[in-house]
Amino acid sequence: MPQGDYIELHRKRHGFRLDHFERKRKKEARRPHELAEYEKKAFGLKAKLHHKKRHQEKAVMRKTIAMHQQRENKHKDEDVIPSGAVPSYLLDREGVSRAKVLSNTVKQKRKEKAGKWAVPLPSVRPIAEEEVFKVVKSGKRKKKAWKRMITKMTFVGQNFTRKPPKLERFIRPMGLRVTKANVTHPELQATFQLEILGVKKNPQGAVTTQLGVITKGTVVEVNVSDLGLVTPSGKVVWGKYAQVTNNPELDGCVNAVLLV
Amino acid sequence: MVVYNFKKIAPVPTSKDFVDVVLSKTQRQTPTVVHKQYAIGRIRAFYMRKVKYAQQCYEEKIARILDEFPRLNDIHPFYADLMNVLYDRDHYKLALGQLNMARGLIDKIGKDYLRLLKFGDSLYRCKQLKRAALGRMCTLMKKLKSSLEYLEQVRQHLARLPSIDPNTRTLLICGFPNVGKSSFMNKVTRADVEVQPYAFTTKSLFVGHMDYKYLRWQVIDTPGILDHSLEERNTIEMQSVTALVHLKACILYFVDLSEQCGYSIKQQVSLFQNIKPLFEGKPLMVVLNKSDMKTVDQCSPEEQELVKTMQGANVQFITCSTLTEEGVTGLKTVACDALLTHRVNTKISRAEKAGKESSVLDGIHVAMPENRDTSERPPIIPSSVMARMQQGETTKTQRKLQKEIQEECGGAGVYSMDYREQYLGLKKEDWKFDIIPEIMDGKNIADFVDPDIERMLEELEREEEEREARGEYDEDPDALDDGLTEVEREQLDAARRKKATLRHESMMARSRNHPTMPRTVAANRRGDLSARGRSMDEHLEELGYDEDIGARKRARSMSEARGRSRTRKERMDVEEGEEGEAMDVDGERAAKKMRMASRSRSQSVPRDVAGHAYKDKTQQEKAKKITKKVVKSAMKVKGKGTARKGEADRHVPNFKPKHLLTGKRGIGKTDRR
Repeated sequence: MPQGDYIELHRKRHGFRLDHFERKRKKEARRPHELAEYEKKAFGLKAKLHHKKRHQEKAVMRKTIAMHQQRENKHKDEDVIPSGAVPSYLLDREGVSRAKVLSNTVKQKRKEKAGKWAVPLPSVRPIAEEEVFKVVKSGKRKKKAWKRMITKMTFVGQNFTRKPPKLERFIRPMGLRVTKANVTHPELQATFQLEILGVKKNPQGAVTTQLGVITKGTVVEVNVSDLGLVTPSGKVVWGKYAQVTNNPELDGCVNAVLLV
Repeated sequence: MVVYNFKKIAPVPTSKDFVDVVLSKTQRQTPTVVHKQYAIGRIRAFYMRKVKYAQQCYEEKIARILDEFPRLNDIHPFYADLMNVLYDRDHYKLALGQLNMARGLIDKIGKDYLRLLKFGDSLYRCKQLKRAALGRMCTLMKKLKSSLEYLEQVRQHLARLPSIDPNTRTLLICGFPNVGKSSFMNKVTRADVEVQPYAFTTKSLFVGHMDYKYLRWQVIDTPGILDHSLEERNTIEMQSVTALVHLKACILYFVDLSEQCGYSIKQQVSLFQNIKPLFEGKPLMVVLNKSDMKTVDQCSPEEQELVKTMQGANVQFITCSTLTEEGVTGLKTVACDALLTHRVNTKISRAEKAGKESSVLDGIHVAMPENRDTSERPPIIPSSVMARMQQGETTKTQRKLQKEIQEECGGAGVYSMDYREQYLGLKKEDWKFDIIPEIMDGKNIADFVDPDIERMLEELEREEEEREARGEYDEDPDALDDGLTEVEREQLDAARRKKATLRHESMMARSRNHPTMPRTVAANRRGDLSARGRSMDEHLEELGYDEDIGARKRARSMSEARGRSRTRKERMDVEEGEEGEAMDVDGERAAKKMRMASRSRSQSVPRDVAGHAYKDKTQQEKAKKITKKVVKSAMKVKGKGTARKGEADRHVPNFKPKHLLTGKRGIGKTDRR
């Protein structure tokens, strides 16, 4: 006990106040009422936060209560598996419910049938060209409108050099360029930040693919040399394709799933 | 003097609180209403402000934590070590380092998203970006959960550490557990430390204060130390070791001769020998406690021998009993005196070492390299230098100083030194005093000086004087004989005068700040306008030509501007003239008719407004003159300027100009209609 703990020292020497425990009990008992009072009054963001917190607390409480009550519950398994001498052919049927497993395998098979090139995001929302390319007016009187600025995230290769700005038809702003993607390996269930090597295909069209625009559903090539993947013939895999799963222009980052 | 008080550190919120505080602060302190029909710049600014605000908020809060927690390198080594013992230096530094890292990362996130927001083209996109930005910042903070919890615990513990001043006069009590350290503390100070009959009652450092010789003394009670190696010591023991190492104090080593504490005298003595290096350079008292139970005399000879092994240069043995208070005051006085003299001595010795009054240098230690062996390694001096040095020492050549020379030659102001003596690097010594030619533009000036110039000038002057004496210059300079007759001279004068006036006129004309008129046009107009004054007709008459009407007319028609004429009168004049003199000429008339037909109808022009009331021009002129006179006389009476409008005159401006206040107002028509 350090020198500053006056309360503790006092308690050690003189014990608790006579009504200490009663007060404590009452305070504890008062708490739900106080909480209710507050909950009635609270509004707005504070209320939202508070209710969320309470919701979580209640869920935990329910779980713990359920856990404590579990012993009293009748367990299904015990009922299902009859004790004593049972013919073996009956043992198979009861005890295990197979319904779910079956449906799972069916799904798996269908998935495999669907083809090698099925991607996690098979279809995307079409994006209008006006949304991707913003018209930039030029000329002294600002009446020429042949310039376009790309409003989505783009990938631009390292050794790319801009055309002279006067002649540049498509402007890919520096602020919207990305070089890295957060790629999830679906089997390992791990996410890595990997370098983007190129844009393989943008579902919005050839122009966007050529310009390296990255939108949701775009297939990009990422550098997986750090992951140490090896081909069946024993070579180290350098680049792999990954599909973008988020809207990069809304999130400010590129999340992708590795296509394996 | 630095005062170590760690009580002022603000509480460190948990990561959840941190996030809540920052988010709600951002919500409260930034505008909340935005609509999608707003200009995009405004929407962007709205969300950028939120992101920036949240980032700054995080940064401020983290920076405050980083500032408030003591940096181990900056505080006194005693506290640094104590914190290392209590909280583990690595863990502490790691936690603060993580916070610092998070600050940088949050800063970066803020910057990145501000950059992205600049390209936001809709409210939805801006909002999503803001959401992502704040989300990422909060995620970062969530990851700091354990660090923040640890720091909060450290803060709470730090705040409760006794405030020990490491530099003041201190008595440090140490010894085995249960030997009566805390009892002594309770006797000499008012610290009210817990005393119990079991080991390790005291688990941390305790501080009490007492007065002696009108000075404030700090007494530190340490937890007991067991006799084992440093590695095996636990946190409680390490605290006392830290205090022993870093505090310059008088150390009271308590020994329980009665062995009631459960440790034999032998153990206690061996501990003393073990930790002896920690007592180096400090006054040390060995306190033989519990004298009411057993004194040295009552001990067996072996024990006495053991006790004697503790003797040393600055070790004093004192017997006391904290129970009966026997010898307690004595111990206190002796210890305090010893420490006082020790402190004074160190100060004096330091001052002596550093010199007389260099108090600044007291704390500085200058390391001198020690000889690694006995062999001498003197500096190598070349023999020639050595020889010269010796010679120089023996025969000092006394050079005559310039100062002495000056004194000899009449003192300062009279004597001036010849700098040429000091010239160096000449091939021959006697070149020093040669005259140096003055060179200009690469040429010697002396080459261009005629040696006879003085003489020639004198000659000239003499000649001039002679001429004057002869009276050659006496003639009237005005009398000039140009060989002109009187008439010719007059004509010449007239011509010159005229020239002068013309020049003057043209100068006047030019000096006006007006657009100049091209000369060709000006010529035409002059003929036109000067119809009433000295005109071309007169001029022609003067010159002896008859009035050539045709030529004049042609000139007029050429010069005349088409369209309406300037005045009525002018036109009338012209017409009359034509009627009178050229009536009979048929062709002329037809031409005139044609001209009239070709011209657009001239509009009627109102007469000069001022001229309305007058009968004719002469009357108008007259009236004008009279007005002028009257005004002039009025001015004369009241003094110049009085009749004019001035600052002091009451002026009522038009507060409500009718034209600005009536009717409907269109866009931007408030003050000009």
